Amino acid sequence: MSRRPPRGEYIETDTGNKVARKATLVGTQNIMLGGKTVIQPEVMIRGDLIRSIQSSSSSSSSATPNNTAVAIGRYCFLSRASCLRPPGRLYKGAFTYMPLRIGDHVFVGPSSVIQAASIGNHVHIGARVVVGEFAIIKDYVRVLDETVIPPNMVIPSFSIVAGQPARVIGEVPEGGHEAFELRELYKTVGNNPPPAAA
Amino acid sequence: MSSKRHSILPAVSAGPKPPVRFSSSITIADSALLTGTNLITISTESVIHPRAKLDSLAGCITIGRRCVVHERTTLGAIGTSGKVTEQAVTLGDYVTVEVAASIEAGNTIIGEGTTVGVGARIGAGAFIGKHCTLTPHTEIRAGEVVPDFTVVYSNGMRRMDKRGVADLKNKGQARQIDVLRRMIPSNPAKFT
Repeated sequence: MSRRPPRGEYIETDTGNKVARKATLVGTQNIMLGGKTVIQPEVMIRGDLIRSIQSSSSSSSSATPNNTAVAIGRYCFLSRASCLRPPGRLYKGAFTYMPLRIGDHVFVGPSSVIQAASIGNHVHIGARVVVGEFAIIKDYVRVLDETVIPPNMVIPSFSIVAGQPARVIGEVPEGGHEAFELRELYKTVGNNPPPAAA
Repeated sequence: MSSKRHSILPAVSAGPKPPVRFSSSITIADSALLTGTNLITISTESVIHPRAKLDSLAGCITIGRRCVVHERTTLGAIGTSGKVTEQAVTLGDYVTVEVAASIEAGNTIIGEGTTVGVGARIGAGAFIGKHCTLTPHTEIRAGEVVPDFTVVYSNGMRRMDKRGVADLKNKGQARQIDVLRRMIPSNPAKFT
């Protein structure tokens, strides 16, 4: 007879997302996960802070098409206790939140707080990093541990960023692009991780 | 994910339920954590995000008008001194306490209009002046005094904020609170 599998730590969706049971996702209708994304326990994603100004009057429609608060790409990895929060600002006289868009293969280190406007592809963010509101991080960026990125900062592609406040301290070397791939990391996480290669 | 559920919030065990005095116009999220034995007062139009933790074991907590307390914050954490005073934490009006900040108990006073940045740590008994800005991850040791209009930034450096925007910041905060009140489902009855 088949036994029910024990309740694992992660919930796996059909698109391959692995969401921990102990993660706190507020407003899940407004959170888009790209697929094959790992969300570890104690992660907090604020999907309830949606854009409050709609460009066209939408009093009749109940489900506005573009109500995304947080959009995450494929193969992303959100480590323990990190927090993703849409940035908010005074726009045209009223306060509104803007969507937070994260690209593919983004690694967010433990205890980081991300309030950026957008993060590109293949970005590695270290532990305890604070990304200020409306910062823009381009592709292939490595953010070292405990960096504080001030609000509205733009970080160009291929840079290495550290410090409080963050400064570009170097560039990702030519052969360093492979290190940003997160497919291997995705496979190691989950309820039944494959045994490590001998 | 099931389409019927609106959020996935694992339950957190709470301590004793504290006596509270809420104004009628506050917004307090359902999953805010209020524990302790002493009085918690939250004044007009303040906003408490989900998962904020207000701990009044070491004394009363008073939050001023139009304050915003973000998630994962801890107000009233018992620091290393462990002393119990009558008034643990006092927040003035228009204070913003950002994500993961922690304010220790022990007569800590935060002045009006101050912004406590992400992950900042304020020691017991500190006195923060009005309209200060504490950038993310700053640490204020116990008993320190930060004068009005100071900006504390990387590694304890300080400078004065000469922009003169205190009034505009307050107006901006009022607008932000207007929007937050509509976005966060408030449930003060759960705590009274």
